Amino acid sequence: MEDVQVVAMLVRRCIAGDAAAWEEIVQNYNRRIYNICYRFAGSGDDAEDLTQEVFIKMYRTLSSYDHTKGAFVTWVTTITRNLLVDHFRKGKQDRMTDSIDTAASEHEDAQPLSEQIPDQSAPPDAHIRSREVSETVHSALAKLSPELREAVILRDLQDMDYREIATALRVPEGTVKSRINRGRAELARLLQRTYRQVM
Amino acid sequence: MSDQTSNGMHCNEFDLLLSDALDGVLTGAQLDRFQAHTRGCKACGPLFAEVEAGRNWLKGLTEVEPPASLVTNILASTTGVDTQRLRTVERAPQPGITWLERVQASVSGFMEPIWATVRQPRFAMSFGMAFFALSVGLTVAGVKPADLTKISLRPAAIRRTYYSTRAQVVHRYENIRFVYEVESRVREIKRNITPAEPAPAKPKDNKNDTTQQPEQKQERNYSQTDSHLILASAPLGPSVNDLPVVSVTTDRRFV
Repeated sequence: MEDVQVVAMLVRRCIAGDAAAWEEIVQNYNRRIYNICYRFAGSGDDAEDLTQEVFIKMYRTLSSYDHTKGAFVTWVTTITRNLLVDHFRKGKQDRMTDSIDTAASEHEDAQPLSEQIPDQSAPPDAHIRSREVSETVHSALAKLSPELREAVILRDLQDMDYREIATALRVPEGTVKSRINRGRAELARLLQRTYRQVM
Repeated sequence: MSDQTSNGMHCNEFDLLLSDALDGVLTGAQLDRFQAHTRGCKACGPLFAEVEAGRNWLKGLTEVEPPASLVTNILASTTGVDTQRLRTVERAPQPGITWLERVQASVSGFMEPIWATVRQPRFAMSFGMAFFALSVGLTVAGVKPADLTKISLRPAAIRRTYYSTRAQVVHRYENIRFVYEVESRVREIKRNITPAEPAPAKPKDNKNDTTQQPEQKQERNYSQTDSHLILASAPLGPSVNDLPVVSVTTDRRFV
């Protein structure tokens, strides 16, 4: 994604006070950070606020980035992940995988996840293209525990390699692989249970 | 994950190789062993299917589009947080720039963070609420904008206003029935709490004790008791009998 030298130069320019360099960094990384925040937090409003917080933190600590220690994208992802974890702890949303029949929303009248499946007959490969199914998968993803969720988001949605994920999460590579496998399996189980119930 | 060995592969090893197998990086004999274990192990076979299904579900999720205002908001919030560095660069003298442009640049450098903060919707909301609360407060207090123009800001006028306001407040406070009652109650309680005073002791025959005597008696007016003869100074004459004798009675007190 990034040429190390180019990004290092961009960061140096930004530290030297080049406003255009900072704008370029914001332009290059806002989409990625927003998506991580959106998939992790589950809501667009929270994702927007969190993305802004990530960039504020980046702006304040940009001088601490050392390109010899790792890629800029890994550094950015680490900041994002730490902030998300803090946000999660503050919001006391830390919960393990819930039942598929519990309401995704805090509202009592909200439909449970199993009732949000629009088409009962089509196979999963057809659903995957539809927006409703994307939302269903997104809701199921939000029900994973934070450890599993962050691992699968970084691997399957952000295409980071295991080494980068291990650096960002500060856990060994083996743990990263294990979490990714458990997260994927848990997600599949949640969605399979959903389909089994509606069929 | 069970702890079995099937087809020459342990389940823990299968778990470690599972990600690599799905990524397609397993080759040769290792891949064969992995596939054989997947087919033979009752625990690992379904697990492989679930993990693969989960990955496919996740791959189907597309990237979401960030809001259009996100970049603008980020730039506003970050430059609003710390623009010291940027301002320093802007303030550096540059050749070929007129003084007007320099003033504009310095003003914009100073105003930029303020403007960035002001542009935030939450600031506008807070400002609106504060204005509303202030106007309601003034209306309730009976303050009219027209009255403000009549206020004199001369020091003497301010001092006079201060003292008259203070006098009014004290007057009002002391005339409140409740305050008056509380004060009288306090006085009454004090009177009840204070022990009865002992009977006055019999006055001793103390000459030095002059507390009961009128003030006049404390004074010794020697001038009223004696008459003094004062010899007027005169040049010495031929005999003492020739000297004039003057009798003076004076009310002056000699101290």
